Amino acid sequence: MASDSPPANIHDRPSSPDDSISSPIGNTFSSPGDPTRRRRRRPSAAADATPTPPQNSRFAANAAVTPTPPSSQRTRGGRGGRRNPPSTPASAATPSSADEAPPSSEGGDGDDADEAPPMFVWGTNISVQDVNASILRFLRHYREDPAQTEGKYMRAIHHVIEVEGESLDVDAHNVFDYDTDLYTKMVRYPLEVLAIFDIVLMDMVSRINPLFEKHIQARIFNLKASTCMRNLNPSDIEKMVSLKGMIIRSSSIIPEIREAMFRCLVCGYYSDPIVVDRGRISEPTICGKQECLAKNSMTLVHNRCRFADKQIVRLQETPDEIPEGGTPHTVSLLMHDKLVDAGKPGDRVEVTGIYRAMSVRVGPIHRTVKSLFKTYIDCLHIRKSDKSRMPAAHPMETENGSSRNEEDSPADYEDKVEKLRELSKHPDIYEKLTRSLAPNIWELEDVKKGLLCQLFGGNALSLASGASFRGDINILLVGDPGTSKSQLLTYIHKLSPRGIYTSGRGSSAVGLTAYVAKDPETGETVLESGALVLSDKGICCIDEFDKMSDSARSMLHEVMEQQTVSIAKAGIIASLNARTSVLACANPSGSRYNPRLSVIDNIHLPPTLLSRFDLIYLILDKADEQTDRRLARHIVALHFENPESSQEDVLDLQTLTEYVSYARNHIHPQLSDEAAEELTRGYVEMRRRGNFPGSSKKVITATPRQIESLIRLSEALARIRFSELVEKKDVIEAFRLLEVALQQSATDHSTGTIDMDLITTGVSASERMRRENLLSATRNIIMEKMQIGGPSSRLLELLDELKKQSSGAEIHLNDLRNSLATLASEGLVSVHGDTVKRI
Amino acid sequence: MVGLPYDLLANPLGAVRLTFQKAVESGSGPATLEGRDWGAADLFRQFLFDDGGLSQVPILNAASVRSIPPNTLVRFRGMIQDMLGNEFYVGAYKDGGLWRTNKFMDVSQFPMDLSSDKRVWERRLLYCVPVPWLNSWTEPSSEVLLNRCASWTSPQREKRQREDDETIDHMDMEVSDQVFQGSPHTKKMRGGQLSPSSHSDECMVEGTCPSTSMVPGFERNSLPCLVKIYDSTEDDLKLNDIFEFVGVLTFDPEVTPADKEDSDELENSFCQEESAHLPPSKVPRLHCLVHRKLAVHDVVSISPVVEPKPNQVKEVREALLGHLTAALGNDVLAAEFMLLHLLSKVHARVDTLAVGKLSLNLTCFNKENMSVFGNSLNLAVKNLLPITHHIPLSVDYLNTTTLAPRKDYETNRLMSGVLQLAEGSHLTIDETHLQAGTLNTVGVENVRLLKNLLELQKVEYDFKYYKMEMTTDVQLLVLSEGKSNILPADLVVPFRPISVGSPEMVDAEALKAWRWYLASVRSLPHSIEPEMQKVVEDDMVAARQADRTLGSQDFSRWLTMSRLMSASFGETCMSLEHWQMVKELERLRRERHQ
Repeated sequence: MASDSPPANIHDRPSSPDDSISSPIGNTFSSPGDPTRRRRRRPSAAADATPTPPQNSRFAANAAVTPTPPSSQRTRGGRGGRRNPPSTPASAATPSSADEAPPSSEGGDGDDADEAPPMFVWGTNISVQDVNASILRFLRHYREDPAQTEGKYMRAIHHVIEVEGESLDVDAHNVFDYDTDLYTKMVRYPLEVLAIFDIVLMDMVSRINPLFEKHIQARIFNLKASTCMRNLNPSDIEKMVSLKGMIIRSSSIIPEIREAMFRCLVCGYYSDPIVVDRGRISEPTICGKQECLAKNSMTLVHNRCRFADKQIVRLQETPDEIPEGGTPHTVSLLMHDKLVDAGKPGDRVEVTGIYRAMSVRVGPIHRTVKSLFKTYIDCLHIRKSDKSRMPAAHPMETENGSSRNEEDSPADYEDKVEKLRELSKHPDIYEKLTRSLAPNIWELEDVKKGLLCQLFGGNALSLASGASFRGDINILLVGDPGTSKSQLLTYIHKLSPRGIYTSGRGSSAVGLTAYVAKDPETGETVLESGALVLSDKGICCIDEFDKMSDSARSMLHEVMEQQTVSIAKAGIIASLNARTSVLACANPSGSRYNPRLSVIDNIHLPPTLLSRFDLIYLILDKADEQTDRRLARHIVALHFENPESSQEDVLDLQTLTEYVSYARNHIHPQLSDEAAEELTRGYVEMRRRGNFPGSSKKVITATPRQIESLIRLSEALARIRFSELVEKKDVIEAFRLLEVALQQSATDHSTGTIDMDLITTGVSASERMRRENLLSATRNIIMEKMQIGGPSSRLLELLDELKKQSSGAEIHLNDLRNSLATLASEGLVSVHGDTVKRI
Repeated sequence: MVGLPYDLLANPLGAVRLTFQKAVESGSGPATLEGRDWGAADLFRQFLFDDGGLSQVPILNAASVRSIPPNTLVRFRGMIQDMLGNEFYVGAYKDGGLWRTNKFMDVSQFPMDLSSDKRVWERRLLYCVPVPWLNSWTEPSSEVLLNRCASWTSPQREKRQREDDETIDHMDMEVSDQVFQGSPHTKKMRGGQLSPSSHSDECMVEGTCPSTSMVPGFERNSLPCLVKIYDSTEDDLKLNDIFEFVGVLTFDPEVTPADKEDSDELENSFCQEESAHLPPSKVPRLHCLVHRKLAVHDVVSISPVVEPKPNQVKEVREALLGHLTAALGNDVLAAEFMLLHLLSKVHARVDTLAVGKLSLNLTCFNKENMSVFGNSLNLAVKNLLPITHHIPLSVDYLNTTTLAPRKDYETNRLMSGVLQLAEGSHLTIDETHLQAGTLNTVGVENVRLLKNLLELQKVEYDFKYYKMEMTTDVQLLVLSEGKSNILPADLVVPFRPISVGSPEMVDAEALKAWRWYLASVRSLPHSIEPEMQKVVEDDMVAARQADRTLGSQDFSRWLTMSRLMSASFGETCMSLEHWQMVKELERLRRERHQ
């Protein structure tokens, strides 16, 4: 007996918190013997079967405490309440007898149930045989693809047998597709149908592999309709439901005794295993051995008892399901065996299970039962939705095309796509989207257009040679305080598929990129991702960019061009993907933008970093009566009008998000020849603009980085239209956007022309020219007035001299110092403090 | 009791039963009665509101809870502090051939046959607390009611007994009797206390210990209440709303700790934690028959029937302004701003913007004048507004206090924070005590919360795995030495007291008038004529052309102020006069800044 195979009911899905299962299968086969022997015994049991409801299934005991079946029992324990006679082999075997009858099992599905009299699930018109047959049919014949020779679930069953698994995942959508009636029955009467399901499964398994001892359970998932936790109501009790939520608490694992073994203290005789019956084990009072028969001598042998894991988990509504002014609802889940610890607190999961209720006793000694019920979900299947952000943010994100949004049925999905496509055909979709972007932020049309491009993004390209070009567009907003930069940032953060919002002051280099940490328990070094890595394929919004520490900023160089984060520390050398767009905003260093200084001087950012931004917008507060008037009108409307009425013709956030994510995932525009031509032409034009006829100075108006930006921008613009082809007009618009951004940021204020040198080196061409002039003037003076090795002269004297010569032009002491430093490096002079000496 | 077979006050459940029987007899099966009222609520609504029965219903509070017998009608005013989800119960069951209901009660009054036909219905559980920081003057003098309660207990009971004899209510009495004594009884077993009076005292003291009283720093004698709501839609009850609930008070002989030890562990873990943490001896249960939302002006219980006449309103306004001026040391300008501030409320939300808020920052307070004017100002505010609270801000306070409500998943309860406030509360933040110091993470978070509250009128509730923003409507007054940078208010007014006014004696009548004025003027509707709109726009454009530093925030403030200004004169439409007044006030304010 010691070598006995585990009785099948161990693997039953136990259900009620305090009641055990009197599984029919378990009882039938709890006697020792290998599965084949059991199998043989079965028909005889079935022979004297009476039409008993198959209540004594794996869920039967629970049925006793649930309110719906009137036959249920409310008293428990040893108080002698009326109770069903312990399940007999007969009642258990009945359901399975249906397919037991014809020995030629293959093929003869239809006439399986011929012999036995029709049986019905108690209180319904569901025939046990019918259900049995349809489950068998489903398992055998369901194919996802008609071309396949073997059914999907037959393969799955074989697989389960191979890996000695314990459960078979059954997609409820498949059940629905194959047999709608079965699906309805399963959802409506899960206890009964699942019990039959398990029995059918077991039969099939033992037919395939008679030596397979484990009991395989069906785990249903992916129901057609998912219930909102808030909407669970009494009518859902005893039905199969599917819920989404977040695990907030899981209890410790509770070992639950399933089978007890007793030993006689007098003679050492071991009793037969005693199965838990309604939460109780009846301890034998008399030793079972005929020779002994000692009274009250039996003691529990712990290590020969059988226990099952159980856990109680609390699930809370996801934040997006909570109505305004409400608090989240919670529901308890009961997990068994393999499901224990399947989810950890904080996980977002989708749970399929049976909603159950049990009555609450006032106290063990009270006879009165409170009129209350405690509800919980008997968990059948748990699926983690591994989305770090709430689904609302990217409701249509698809991973590999096949797994579409779970909330939507295919029809809904098609519908949505159709709607979005319809929307994209709008002639003014570009304008419409621009309007819908942060509708309450005034003006800044071009900035919004730039941000829109960033949201849609260009195509990332990696060449066979290994070179890769990023598709992400980086934007920097520089502006006066109070020009709603931060609001724009928060808005984009809300909209982007995956976004991290950080503030420059609070971010450190490692916080942005990644850091290596030692796991306190194992001592292993682990990589912890920072904001930029976490926003891979999203947008990283950095507020207060100017207040960021230099070391943190320098980390951005790699991220913004190479799109990776490289780490070389304590045993870890890694390169992490950080394909993120950066949206940064900064205040001018003097709190207000000084139009007389260059961008570089205004924002104090290293030019190397600055050049990595595709678009740099200056948001300045300009005196313009028209804008002022619109602002005034806007504010008055805000105060006195119904806010809803003022927002016409804009897309809501939800649609906008869907639109963006659909475009990002499905549209990959290519440059058309026409567009490519326009691009080259425009670029050459831009470069040429730097050459002023008759002027010796050479101004760079565009750099190769700009052409990359242009390509990205025009791709994004094509995406906005859901177009697979970048057209000429996209390129023209991209040029316009870039120019607007450049004109705002790269205009040389002394000449009024665009000068990329301002961005790339921080010094404009005209400034450089001025410096060179000064330098030569200084050199001339020194050559004229000073002798080699002669007496040194003071700086101020030189300055006066220079001023005389240059006739009126403003020359600062600092400028002079700079030129002298250059001369000193040439070896012409030596400078000591305030004195200059020619050498 | 005229025409009514039951005393609705003393035996509301009788009426519930009667109406239920009627409904069943009239042919509606129990299935059709699910989730809707069968006439019981209508009966009570008529009794309470049409027949003026509301004033006879005793108010449930810490003082009266001991004297009110269970299973009688009570009313409870409170703020919804937490929502505990839904509860399923046996709504209707068959007793012999007769359908009976368990609605509005905790324990079924007839033994339910185990096999009998049952219907499961659901009800909502709300955890309500007395409105936090409610000033004592708002409470109607409850002595009369208390006396009535006391007299109930003995003679009334016999009377009721007699009535009940006619019907089948023996059980009811038995249960209620047993329960009524049963509640302290169970405690007796535990604590070994003997005298019943000391029990109740003990109950009350315990009732305010942190595990049950979710509002920290709350007055000791406050009484939370677990309200069970029937047949209500989701959306009319919101967190932090103030409600008046009228319903049946029950003591719930639920599993007491002593019992719990016996019952098996698993059942416990399923028992919704709330029952474990809210023993019925500390938190009474109220089965709500009728509920209605209270706005701030409903909380101010005095309601003059007369419509506000313009001249009358002006008189009250002048008097109130005088009172505020005196409290502010004859600083008329500060008093004007103060008046507008006291009238402000959020009337619309556009995206993240809360339109209508007007937080005030009075600067130039120092140690000396703080003790004088700070106190007089606090007193004035406390006397004028129903819900006020004063926070003396210090580094220590910021580092240790929980401002935001936080979800405790161990108990599955929302632990209240200081900032869980009912709509229309007034909060004074005294920054003058703030010294230089280091803020820890809690402190930084608290500062951020306060800032958010000032700027957006939103409080983030901490749900551990995520934060949830709740909108609020709180008037904020900041007192500081210089302009407060951590608490950016809409209006910064340097405070210039001229004289130390002697604390003025205010007569009760005037105070009543002022309270009424503040409450009713606040709820006035408001509009703007197109001509006026044009004037305002032109003025704004001109102002902006003259001064580039003016931004949308300033304009927004002007509009809010002028709206409040005209409202303060009892007018519903903005006039040029008031717009000019506001501009003048702004000019004076700017002068002070220079």
